[in-house]
Parts: sequence; C-alpha cells; structure tokens
Amino acid sequence: MPVIMRRLIVIASALLLVTLIAIALWINQRVKPVALTPSLTGQVEYCLTCHSDLAEISPSHPVKTYGCVICHGGERLALDANLAHSTMRGGKNPADFSVVQASCGGADCHSGSPGAYRDHIQCSTTSIQDTYAGAIALIRYTYGDQLDLTARLGTRAIDDAQSSTGITSLGLFDPSQEASPSVRLFGQNCLSCHLSAQPIEGIQYARFTGCSACHTPTQPAAINGAPVGDLAKIHKLTTAMPYTQCNTCHNRGNYDLRTMTFQPRQDNSADRLHHYYQPIAEFTKCEYTLECVDCHTRTEAMGDGSLYSSKFDIEYTQCKTCHGTLTELPKTRTLTDPNDLAFRMAAIYPVVDLRLGDTILVTEKGEPIWNSRVLSDGTYAMVGKVTGESFTFRPVKGTTCKQDPANQTASSCHECHSVQR
Amino acid sequence: MRPSFFHHLHPPTIPVKQARFRYTLAAGGLAAFLVFVLFVTGLLELFYYIPTPDQAADSIQTITFLVPYGSLVRNLHYWAAQFLVVVAGIHLIRVVMTGAYSPPRRLNYLLGMGLFVSTLLLDFTGYVLRWDEGIRWALVAGTNLVKSIPLAGQQIYRMLVGGLEPGPATLIRFYGWHIFGLMIIVAGLLTWHIFRVRRDGGIALPPPRLRETLERIPRTELVRREVAAMLLASVALLLLSLFAPAPIAPPMTSAPSALAVSRAPWFFLWVQQMLKLGSPFLWGVVVPLAVLLALTLIPYVFPRTSPRELGRWFPRSGRPAQFFFILILVSILTLTVLALLPG
Repeated sequence: MPVIMRRLIVIASALLLVTLIAIALWINQRVKPVALTPSLTGQVEYCLTCHSDLAEISPSHPVKTYGCVICHGGERLALDANLAHSTMRGGKNPADFSVVQASCGGADCHSGSPGAYRDHIQCSTTSIQDTYAGAIALIRYTYGDQLDLTARLGTRAIDDAQSSTGITSLGLFDPSQEASPSVRLFGQNCLSCHLSAQPIEGIQYARFTGCSACHTPTQPAAINGAPVGDLAKIHKLTTAMPYTQCNTCHNRGNYDLRTMTFQPRQDNSADRLHHYYQPIAEFTKCEYTLECVDCHTRTEAMGDGSLYSSKFDIEYTQCKTCHGTLTELPKTRTLTDPNDLAFRMAAIYPVVDLRLGDTILVTEKGEPIWNSRVLSDGTYAMVGKVTGESFTFRPVKGTTCKQDPANQTASSCHECHSVQR
Repeated sequence: MRPSFFHHLHPPTIPVKQARFRYTLAAGGLAAFLVFVLFVTGLLELFYYIPTPDQAADSIQTITFLVPYGSLVRNLHYWAAQFLVVVAGIHLIRVVMTGAYSPPRRLNYLLGMGLFVSTLLLDFTGYVLRWDEGIRWALVAGTNLVKSIPLAGQQIYRMLVGGLEPGPATLIRFYGWHIFGLMIIVAGLLTWHIFRVRRDGGIALPPPRLRETLERIPRTELVRREVAAMLLASVALLLLSLFAPAPIAPPMTSAPSALAVSRAPWFFLWVQQMLKLGSPFLWGVVVPLAVLLALTLIPYVFPRTSPRELGRWFPRSGRPAQFFFILILVSILTLTVLALLPG
C-alpha cells in the first residue's frame, strides 16, 4: 500500500511539474501588452497591443494625444478582443450620429465650444443632409401629402427653438403613416443617402455614416486611382474630401418618380471629366477641375444649425461668389486678425501658407475661401484642397461677358461656359 | 523519528476504512484544500483589486490581462470557488447517504451546514465584487429579494446594501464580508469542524466490537494519501484555469445595458427558476430558507443510524433521511436544469 501511494505521489508530482512548466511557457509566449497613455485622458490603454499597424487617423488627432478610447470607447485594459470591443461606441464608426455626441462632442472638441462655427455636431445633425427634410417635403408635396414645400418631417424628430429659419421642429417621417402610396414607396426605397442611413449595396456607394460619411474617404481620390479597400480597415479623417466621396451619394444616378426606385447611372466613365457628373449634366471647366469642397462651404455641407426646407435655402455658392458680376468684384477680406477663422481652417489641411496681411476671397455670407488669394494684378488664385493644384482666374468685371444681373444661377453661366464632353 | 508538524496534525494511526476513498470520496479533505487555495489566491488578488464602483471592474481587467500570472491566479480562485461548492455538496451527500449525521456527530453536522452556507455567501459576495455587467442581474435581483421580507425587509436591505440602491456602500460592504467577515466565520467554523472530527473519533464507523476489521494505517500513509489528492486536485485546477478562463464583462454602468447577463450564479439558478412561479418572498426567501432548515434538521428529525450500519453507503436505518434528501436534491437539480434550458 505505501509503495503504491509513493508511486502515485511521484507521478502526480511529475504531472504537476509538467503542468506548471506548460503554463509558464504558455503565458510567456503571449503577446506583450503595448501601453499608451494619451495626454488628454491620462489613462493607460492597451489597444495598440493588437492595433499597432493602424495609421494615425489624422494630423489633428495624434494618437499620443488622443489615444483610441476617447473616440472609440471600448475596454482600454482588456486584451481579449471580445471584451475590449464590447463597449465600443458605434461599432467600427464612433462618428455615427447615434453616438457622435459622446465620441466627437464635448466643449473642447466638436460641440458647444465658445468659438464661432465650432458646434459641428449640432449643425450636422440638423442639416438638410441628415434630416433629408427637403426631399421629404418635396415628395410629400408632389404627391399631395402636404400643401406647401415647408419641411415638417425629417429622418429624426428634432426640436430646435434656436432655429432662425422659422422652422423650429421636425417630426419623424414615418412612411407607413403617409396617404400616398408613392410617398410610402419613397420611404422604402429612397432614404439611403442621408448621413445616418446605411448606403445601398455597391462598391461605388460605400461610405460610413455620420461625420465619417464625408470625412472618412472610402473611395479612391480619383476614378482611376486605387480600388476601394476593406471599409473596416480605413482609419482616416480629412477635411479635404475628394469629389469621389461626395459621389457616394451625389451624381450616382436618378430616382424614377413613377416607380420610386433608384436608377443607377449606367455610364462607366474612366476619366474625371466624364465621371464627375452624370452624362446629362452641364458644367463649367472649374466645376470638374476643382473639387466640390473647393467652392462649397462648410455651412452649405454641414448646415448652420438651423432647420431648412430645401437644400436651395442653405446652398448659396454661385459662379459670382468667386468671379463677381459685371458691376461688382467678388468679396474679399484682408486677414488682420490672427484668430480669423481662415487661419484655423488653413491649419487643418495646409495646402496654402496663409499669413497675416493676405487678402482672400470670402463668400456672400462672409465665409472665408481660405484656399484663394487675391493677386497683385487683380486676378485670383486658388489651390485645390485635395489636389494641391494651383488655378488662376479673372473677375467678370471689365470683360465682355453677357451676364444678366438678374440671372446668376449656374445654369445661366452654363449657356456660354459649359464644357463639351 | 519524531513526527513533523504536518504529521503531528494527524492522529498516529486511523482505522483503514476511515481513509478509504470509496467511503469518504475525499470530499472533506478536498474542501479544506480548496479553502487553502482560495485563501492564497485571494490574498494575491487583494494586491490589485480596488473595491470602488469606478475601478473594481477595471482592476479585475488589470489582474486578468496585465498582471504577470494574474489571469492564472484569478482563474484558480474562480475554479477553486466553484469546486468548493461542488465538493462541499458531495461531502454533504456522503454524510447523509452514509448516515454519519447521527449522534455524536449532530453538532458537527450543524457546523458543516454553517460552513456550507458561508461558502455560498462567500461565492455570492465574491461574484458581486466583479461589479461588471455580468453580475448586475444577480446583484439587483438578489438584494431585492431581501426587500420582499415583510416588516423588516427595507431595514435589512439598507443594512445589506448600504443605501436605497446598490452603490459604493454596497461594494465596500460585500468586500468587507468577503475578505473579512465571512472569512473569520469560515476560519472559526472550519477549525471547530475539524476539531470535532477528532473529538467524535474520526470519520463515522461502527464501534470497534462491531467492525469487520481492526486494521489501521499510520499517519505517514494518511499524509501521503492527502498529498497525492492535493497534487491531483492541483493539476485539475491548473488545467481548468488554463483552458477555461473565469467570466468577465464590461464595467457596470448606471444605465441598464444590453450587455447585461440576466442569470444568477449557477448555484442559485434553482432559486431563480422558482422566482418565475410568483411571489418573490415565498419562492425567493421562504422556500430556500425552508430547504436549508430542512437539511439542517435531518439529524434531529430522522431516526439515528444503527451503529452497526455506520461506515457504509445507504444504511437501511437511514432510508427515510436518504429519501428525503434525494427528493430535495433532485428538485434542486431539476430546477437548475430548467433554468438552463432556453426560453
């Protein structure tokens, strides 16, 4: 009996020893944690243990300052992927409008800060690009579900007492409550391109939602550039959006108002001239050599914080914004205040070296066209925000242009100046 | 040779049957060993665990992912605790099914029940110390049961939880009970329990004149068997700790979360299942306490086991107690299985 017990003890001891060695080896071959303590939070996080290959999202958000968790949420200490990712905000996209306030907001970030034009979250989430109130009002009006074009419903219910347009609230657009079958179909088929909507299937429509719909370039910068990669691996924010990003929603086809279905454009354009706009569109040279964001301003795209009934109420950049009229030069501003908004915008994506004393073009509402410059000979220069290309152009005043002061929309200019394709 | 300290803790010789695995199932000894493992691993966890709602779950993540061998220590603590409930349960089954509860071991039966209840309370308080989404339901539902007690419910709830709802006071109270209050109780009861085993003449056997054999084994052999059992138990614990990590979840937030688990710890699943029947006070407090009381009274209600039949399984003189116990056991197991079934 004692002999058996002694042998059992020897065997059990050997077993225990082997187990302990196996555990030591197992634990020591595990990945070594990579710590990062971002200066903004002061709290250590270990995301880089697995995500060290991820490119920094933008020069304005250096990882050493921000880290990952301040935007993405998640469990900063966990080295188990499931647990670490379980509390992430908005899954792979913290800029989705459902979580944007927690991810991108805050007084020091993109909401509620005292400086002008800084509350981007409030603006974007009330903008026509997210409420889709314009299209909804137009369709309901067209099919008799409302008697005028004033927006009443949006993709979300919003109360905004501060709104300066007279529209202080939008109800939730619920297609099932609509009388017209066409409006109900519209609700089913045509709500895929507001900022909170998931895009329709197709690589050319691939984009994120919320801020990232525009600010995360998911498309190659030009049509013959690199193919779209894995959306989940794109880790980039930019203010220099190429037109291809805008085209995930715009210029991608038409809605057939009889069947209320989306008809994708059929042309397989291989060059920028043909790809930028649909075949039926008319446009001038600068409209396709520049990027959308070179002319259209932040308030046009992201709204100004008020609720609008139509994109035509918030869109205001026209040819004359940069070229002026026969009788007037375009508006300009000489930068004398170091806190001028132009400097802040130029600093985010520095394609021009803007200095105090420079004179730049400004829009009719006074928004700086910070990538432009008034040259000494009275002409103007503009640097493409995305391409970095330089363009020079002249004012209309003093030319033989047959401009009619009463008709200043692009279509009037297109009568003479459109590009032949 | 004079006996070493460890040999000296044992009687010089014991009847061979008292050390036979198929009689004792080694459950009592293993339980004591698991208490020791829990004490050591718990002591190590104390160095990193932070008992505040803000930091508790984070400190457990630190232990689990960042402290060298921290996950091993935590997994060992977890698995030793689960095993302790199982092993203590087997110990209780053995005692009832062999009729060992009869006088003079009635007092030790009570001490054992005290240890069993303390073990469950230690398990539950330890579970709550995670303070993550995985324990929210059990914490809220478990403490709310106390509220359902007529007249004194609110007062007991406040005493237990330290406020009108679970918060920092709750965590520090559970922490205090877990690492100090219940520990002291277990230490005292365990010492007394083991002392009583010696006083009652070791593990139950018929008196010498009724024994089939008077063969005895020396304490050196007894200690060898204990060491072998501890080594094998250690291997099992280590392997489980390596391959089956202790559960963990994101920190508890003030708002109810979709991540929350709505399930009691496994040893209270039978109570959770009964709660579906209606009145929380009846099914969540009265019935479980009645079951506990019924188990505790077994040595006092049922006839004593005939001395001749001691030291063997299912003695004829213990049949009523055995049937009663199996009834309770099967009910608890059935309720547990029902609770685990989906829907």
